[in-house]
Amino acid sequence: METVVSVFADTILITLVLAFAAFGLAIIYGLIGVINMGHGAMLTLGAYFTWWSTQHGVPFVPSVLLSAIAVGAVGLAFEHIIIRHFYNRPFDTLLLTWAFFLVTTEVIKIVFGTDFRNVPSPVDGAIDLEIYRVPAYKTIVGAVSISIIAGTALVFFKTALGIKIRAMIQNREVASLLGLNIAVMYKLVFAFGAFMAGLAGGLIAPMYSIDPYMGNTFLVRSFFVVIIGGVGQLLAGTLFGSFAIGGLETVLALFSDQVIAQIAVFFIAVLILRFRPQGVFTGR
Amino acid sequence: MSVRKTDSLTRLSRRAVLSGMVVTAAAIGAPRIIRPASAADPIKIGVLSPVTGAWTVYGQAHSRGFELAVEEINAAGGVLGRPIQMILADYQTDQRLVVEQANRLLRQEKVDLLAGTFSSADRNAAGPVVKAADKILLYPTWYEGQIKDYYPGVCNPNIFMFGPEPTQQVWPFMEKMVKDHGKKFYMIGSDYAWPRVTNLFTKEKLQELGGETVAEVYIPFNTPQYESVLREIREKKPDIIFHSLTGSDTVNFRQQLHAAGMSKDFTLWTVDDEEVVTSGLGPEVSAGTYVSFDYFMTISHPNNKAFLERYKAKYGPDALMNTVGVGMYNAAHMGAMAIAKAGKVETAAIREGLKELTFDKAPQGTVKMRGLDNQIVVPSYLMRVREGWTSVNDMFEEVMSVPSVEPKDARCDLPL
Repeated sequence: METVVSVFADTILITLVLAFAAFGLAIIYGLIGVINMGHGAMLTLGAYFTWWSTQHGVPFVPSVLLSAIAVGAVGLAFEHIIIRHFYNRPFDTLLLTWAFFLVTTEVIKIVFGTDFRNVPSPVDGAIDLEIYRVPAYKTIVGAVSISIIAGTALVFFKTALGIKIRAMIQNREVASLLGLNIAVMYKLVFAFGAFMAGLAGGLIAPMYSIDPYMGNTFLVRSFFVVIIGGVGQLLAGTLFGSFAIGGLETVLALFSDQVIAQIAVFFIAVLILRFRPQGVFTGR
Repeated sequence: MSVRKTDSLTRLSRRAVLSGMVVTAAAIGAPRIIRPASAADPIKIGVLSPVTGAWTVYGQAHSRGFELAVEEINAAGGVLGRPIQMILADYQTDQRLVVEQANRLLRQEKVDLLAGTFSSADRNAAGPVVKAADKILLYPTWYEGQIKDYYPGVCNPNIFMFGPEPTQQVWPFMEKMVKDHGKKFYMIGSDYAWPRVTNLFTKEKLQELGGETVAEVYIPFNTPQYESVLREIREKKPDIIFHSLTGSDTVNFRQQLHAAGMSKDFTLWTVDDEEVVTSGLGPEVSAGTYVSFDYFMTISHPNNKAFLERYKAKYGPDALMNTVGVGMYNAAHMGAMAIAKAGKVETAAIREGLKELTFDKAPQGTVKMRGLDNQIVVPSYLMRVREGWTSVNDMFEEVMSVPSVEPKDARCDLPL
């Protein structure tokens, strides 16, 4: 019983946390087609801003929000100065965002130093369910994650803004002919993706080591999440992809050990892509 | 999904941006070399440091320890009337670059000897290079001990070990830990040579003491999630979690152990988390952990007080030092002493000079290089992380110490 409950709880939490970490990428890659190799650096930046701000006496929640806004602003500036000139050349954006990662990482080292940093968990301890103790803070992050992803999906599918964005994805020229300001929409989506990455980075900061390379751990996983779920499938795709890459590992580890489970997960990911190259939730 | 061009916004020239990127990439990728100005004909020592990449966090204390010692040696008139010139090469925590940089230092910079590398994998990469070039390498890190299988990374007459190995870092405290906390060990480490061989030695001693290993787990680098490991720990109920994860993995694992409410239920003994990593963990997560090393910033030896004063005067009051930085510091001083003793800068003479050399100004007390297997003889400390510590100055409290630990003989063809 204990095992069932703990595996269930762990799987849900891992899936949600990973989905949150990947969400910024899902937005930028999924909606405007920029292969954002700088996603990891945006997470890292969010974590460092949060650390810096809590060090200077700002409470945790405002710190995370400010960090997300700051990373969103960095994303906006990056989009305005460079990325917007390259929307028609996806491969170039891959290189440019990789350069963003390299430069940001070095700047982080210069400004914040190379030591490990930590943000104390704002909610220390675990929720005791008698048979199993669920990490309290992680549960909160999971709840925030599902709310934000669902909220974004709601905007996407139920509002006028959502219709505009979907129109823009479906056919840029026609949307533009119908009077949509494509340049502004792209800018907003890019900045929103960066904001989400910053928010995720700030929120996961108390759970992971904060070092200049922390985002890298999530970069590859995030790409797998987005590609398996299906590019552009914000809600179902991100959640399913996160389950396949994160949650599944915990389930598989029951039957083997952690190392084999990790290998098995990526093997399954490759298998899925072999038979559904467009992602699980994207129609042919 | 592809996005086609529809707008004709003003565009930066693609060539300008790309060439800008190339310059940036080259600047980032290029080895960083620091050349302190010095008089003619200096003795050149090439220092291989992980200034960037995964071990960045250790790189700072690593290179600073050596730099401080070189400055002290030169202030005292150098060696044989010649100053020492330190040539720092960043190998970006990449074993391929260890080989490349070591060769570059030897062939282009024409250094007289090498010091550094950080992890055992780095050192094992440098082993064949120093063997082929017949140059000395001074290695500063706590490591897994010398077993012939890993030659020429170890058991190499040209490599001198300034960090403690398991029979110095772990064995002296096993009896006490088993007596105080229990006999069941759960071993978790990163998946490479150092944790595996360290655990091999630890199990050997544990068996002698009648203990048992309930599980032995090796985790690939950069693993963010540990739920299944935590579940296994809850099921196997060990008395001691014996911990040799490294870098950010150690922080991720221990954050999650703590968040799951398990850090109070289990005794954790780490042979990895020195000042730098423990700072990264923060007081809540790290409190109550046992840590063993040859050096801590908090040890009360008078040498250490004087050493830290000089260190902080140069690098600022918050600069961190650790066992590796001290290993590099001792390596520089003892390398210089060996050259002075030999009277010439030549590999065979330096090797002879280093053997049985004693250094009584080492921050951790008097240390001695054993001639038999090129292994430093150092003190060893078992510390407990204080509850609610505020800085490295009150981070650790001493549980047990041994003033000088003679290690078991290296498992090589001796003498080296």
